[in-house]
Amino acid sequence: MVDIATILAGFADAFTLYNLTFVLFGVVLGQFVGAVPGIGPIMAMAIAIPFTFGLDALPAIAFLVGVNKGGLVGGAVPAILMNTPGTPDAAATALDGYPLAKQGKPLKATKMALFSSITGDTISDIVLITVSAPLAILALKMGPIEIFALMICAFSILAGLIGNSLIKGIIAAAFGLLVASVGQDPEHFTPRLIFGNWELFNGLPLPSVAIGMLAISELLRRMSIAHGGSMNSAIITEETGNPDDQRVTWAEYWSCRYTLLRGAGIGTILGALPGIGSTAAAFMSYAMAKGSSKDPTSFGKGNIQGIAASESANSAVVGANLIPLLTLGIPGSVGAALIISAFMIHGLQPGPLLFTNQGQLVYGLFGAMLMANFINLWVGQLGLRFWVRVVSAPESIIFSSAILLCIVGVSMATGGMFGVAIMLVFASVGYLMSSFGYSLVIFIIAFFLGPRFEKSISQSLALTNGDLTQIFKSPVAVALLVFAVISFFWFMRKNTRERDNES
Amino acid sequence: MIGLSDRISGTFFLILGLTMYLFVNPNYIETVDGGNISPSTFPNVVSIVIAVCGAMLLFRPTPHQSPEIRSVVITSTYVLLLVVGLYVMSRLGFEYIAPVLALIIMLAIGERRPLWLVVGAIVIPVLIWFLVTIALGRALP
Repeated sequence: MVDIATILAGFADAFTLYNLTFVLFGVVLGQFVGAVPGIGPIMAMAIAIPFTFGLDALPAIAFLVGVNKGGLVGGAVPAILMNTPGTPDAAATALDGYPLAKQGKPLKATKMALFSSITGDTISDIVLITVSAPLAILALKMGPIEIFALMICAFSILAGLIGNSLIKGIIAAAFGLLVASVGQDPEHFTPRLIFGNWELFNGLPLPSVAIGMLAISELLRRMSIAHGGSMNSAIITEETGNPDDQRVTWAEYWSCRYTLLRGAGIGTILGALPGIGSTAAAFMSYAMAKGSSKDPTSFGKGNIQGIAASESANSAVVGANLIPLLTLGIPGSVGAALIISAFMIHGLQPGPLLFTNQGQLVYGLFGAMLMANFINLWVGQLGLRFWVRVVSAPESIIFSSAILLCIVGVSMATGGMFGVAIMLVFASVGYLMSSFGYSLVIFIIAFFLGPRFEKSISQSLALTNGDLTQIFKSPVAVALLVFAVISFFWFMRKNTRERDNES
Repeated sequence: MIGLSDRISGTFFLILGLTMYLFVNPNYIETVDGGNISPSTFPNVVSIVIAVCGAMLLFRPTPHQSPEIRSVVITSTYVLLLVVGLYVMSRLGFEYIAPVLALIIMLAIGERRPLWLVVGAIVIPVLIWFLVTIALGRALP
């Protein structure tokens, strides 16, 4: 168990001016890129990770968390003003935010989104801080057999929840595992599938694969859409001039308290489960707010309850996403997978041992997350009018500079152009996979978990003398495997039903 | 045509899985005596899973739409541009090639305004150079 001195030392680290400056940079950058449709916080995190290489672990990871949190606030700006969500999470926000902006209340809508986002995020962070340490203690009691069962369980959930088909989910996961087996095998350390290229002996570099698949492939897709098109982006909002339409009063905020709490609860629960994502949380919260409203017909016509529901839920996912990451080492989302890359670049291994070995860092990160919420509120209050101007930057500048930053970043993280070449290969693979409807998130997570999965199989076999039926002597492993089987068949049925409905 | 997209990708993964299992894995993975799990076991299992799922997708496709040919061709052109750009960059250096690469990308997307072209092709690469070499003290590619 982490002692109180370590916890306090961690929080003290977070509150130093140096670390707070990086949180501030992260939040400002996050709000900026979130406000620009086409980049988003995930791509910004992917690009920024290699640039944090020269920093200490805490400011580097706090900076990335700031980008993620700021991005969710920024993503609501184009959703509300242009009906073009800067991030998929903000799509539900646009349902009521855009009509409210069209009624001449753009500032009221963006401010409500900001306050709701901060509320949801803060509640979720408090849950993260209170439950992750006890969960990590439980996780430490798990041996290789239970870890093996947990991996199967995580894969079964991921495959069912992301993508439009379970088969495609399994292919994406298996393909990620196959790519992860390039390098050395974890038991005998012999070269495997390196084709005589010894630069591959340590495996494919995670930054190259992650940035190629998530950032460059998305840039390529958007460049092909924008190719030869108009460079003008338009924001047409006219304010009424009434001061009450430019702010959110305390009475308005307080009237949304139940919606905000429900949204934060949904976001936290869904965020803690690997693979569901903040978009699902936002829409689920929106649907529940509409369903429980006395006036459901006002939703979709500029009801601030709709903004409160979606923004509190999608922001609550960010903190909760770190629960499986910090306690089990399992990334539950793309953002979490990228934060894992940052941990690994700094020589840290996420998982239950992180609390024992790097307790001060973990609590420093928690402190930085809480401070990021306050900074997000402050920067948002000051910057909302400015971000409105920012969203009009042309895509041509954004795409060309993002590509240059990716090239430089990956080159720095991998030590040369070989990593950049791998990035380009995986950008093409990522583009094709997403075009054909395969989940890149499953691929990346399977790629990251692959070596650990194989190692856990090897250790389980060693522990049971090759008799895997002994797994059934572990109640935890049995429970996890049963859960995996149930979720597999449940998702299979759900997919079949959805496909039948579509046809 | 409904299901064509999945039939194409299913065929690809069926062939990939079989090729890996029958040809690549036996020839490019070393065999080891002893141990709990052979180095080829894991890649073989996932290759079979890929092949089986590819076959299932081939015969039971989802209604996912195929990507537009025009979009794939444009993307391939951008990929080719990046391949050439990276190759020349590895020979001549980031400082000389990045502005040209940025300018070509911006022109290809459709940007014609001189101010934005100057910002994208000169100001941004100079800022990146400053950030990496001066502020971070690291080498550019």
